[in-house]
Amino acid sequence: MTVTRYVEVVLTIPDNEAETALTTLRRLGVHVDELRRSDLYRIEVEPEREGTLLETLREIETIYNPNKHALRLRSDVAPQPGEAWIDEPKTVDSARGPVHIAGRVLPGVWGLERLVAWQLSDSLGKPASAEVVARAAETLLCNPAFQRATTNSHIRPK
Amino acid sequence: MSARVAVLVFPGTNSEEETVRACRAVGLEADAVHWNADLDEVRRFDAYVLPGGFAYEDRVRAGAIAAHDRLMTAVREGAAEGKLVLGICNGAQVLLEAGLAPALGGDSSIQAGFAKNAPLGKFRSTHVHVKLAIPPERCAITAHLAPNAVIPGWASHGEGRLAAHDDVLARIEREGHLAFVYCDASGETTTEAIPNGSALGAAGLVNAAGNVLAIMPHPERDAWTFNHHDDSRERARGNANAMLAPSGGIALFESLAKALR
Repeated sequence: MTVTRYVEVVLTIPDNEAETALTTLRRLGVHVDELRRSDLYRIEVEPEREGTLLETLREIETIYNPNKHALRLRSDVAPQPGEAWIDEPKTVDSARGPVHIAGRVLPGVWGLERLVAWQLSDSLGKPASAEVVARAAETLLCNPAFQRATTNSHIRPK
Repeated sequence: MSARVAVLVFPGTNSEEETVRACRAVGLEADAVHWNADLDEVRRFDAYVLPGGFAYEDRVRAGAIAAHDRLMTAVREGAAEGKLVLGICNGAQVLLEAGLAPALGGDSSIQAGFAKNAPLGKFRSTHVHVKLAIPPERCAITAHLAPNAVIPGWASHGEGRLAAHDDVLARIEREGHLAFVYCDASGETTTEAIPNGSALGAAGLVNAAGNVLAIMPHPERDAWTFNHHDDSRERARGNANAMLAPSGGIALFESLAKALR
């Protein structure tokens, strides 16, 4: 029995990749004022190990470097307004079974998938509209041949 | 006068020297053309080769940013006019991200991509062979190769696994876009010969018109005796002329040169 948790690794130094993506999007006519990127790990963890998960990831220092990253557990389990989550379904990044990072077992972790979260905002810092996010995903952020973009607008109320 | 070939260089490209050298070795007039070159100058070239490397550091995805670089305006126009375009490794990734290959039915939307290698998802550099899987004349660049020609090269990439939806893969095969497949030295196509889990065993794709070829392994890195992977290098030891003789992967460039004559 596991629970799904999302761990976000975000750069605390300037993000050249996000800057390049922003410049390219603007050149392609997608009007975005700010673009932030983070690595997002979807982790299947045993409930009793959940409390030590972040500490373990900090200790291993493979997906996280204290000199340039911030690491946090996300309370939301789906993209927020202005966000696009890009993943590669059924790819080699997916792992099932006891998960190892840098040769060490992550205690209580039974699944780990990496996604990229892009956060788009306007000049006032407000989340970009669903249309802009969708256009950014279509034109640059996602290759639909093997990637999947999940945005806030895809989430239908139950 | 020989045909003029532009070997396009984006920030992060790293194989332009050997690619220019391979083109010149077969009699082409080839120049490395940088991303800030004048577009009208770039348009004057007869053909374009996109070499390997990590254009724009593979930011967002391998080839994704370069696919939208201004240099690609000239490449798109040229491809539409029927000029020959060859993408090698990162260049092949750029062509797929730009929708210039496989371009099923002439559609230039993104239909496929080169995704992370399977099963480990890691960069791999290994010597490979690829076999021509289409009639040579189906693609202008391969038209002067022998049927089923086997070409050596180096697979040197982290994202070389052809990935697309099942209907697209079926069309790639059915409509003659599967230009090269991985094989062993004898030309046998085996699962073991595929270094990256590529769908269809694909090593190269051609567009509908037959003038754009995207190939993942590097033929230019196995184009002279001194960088062959077999015993021919040992046999040439002590004989400078033999050691410096073009062979192996140079066959693809020879075919390109003949197509441009």
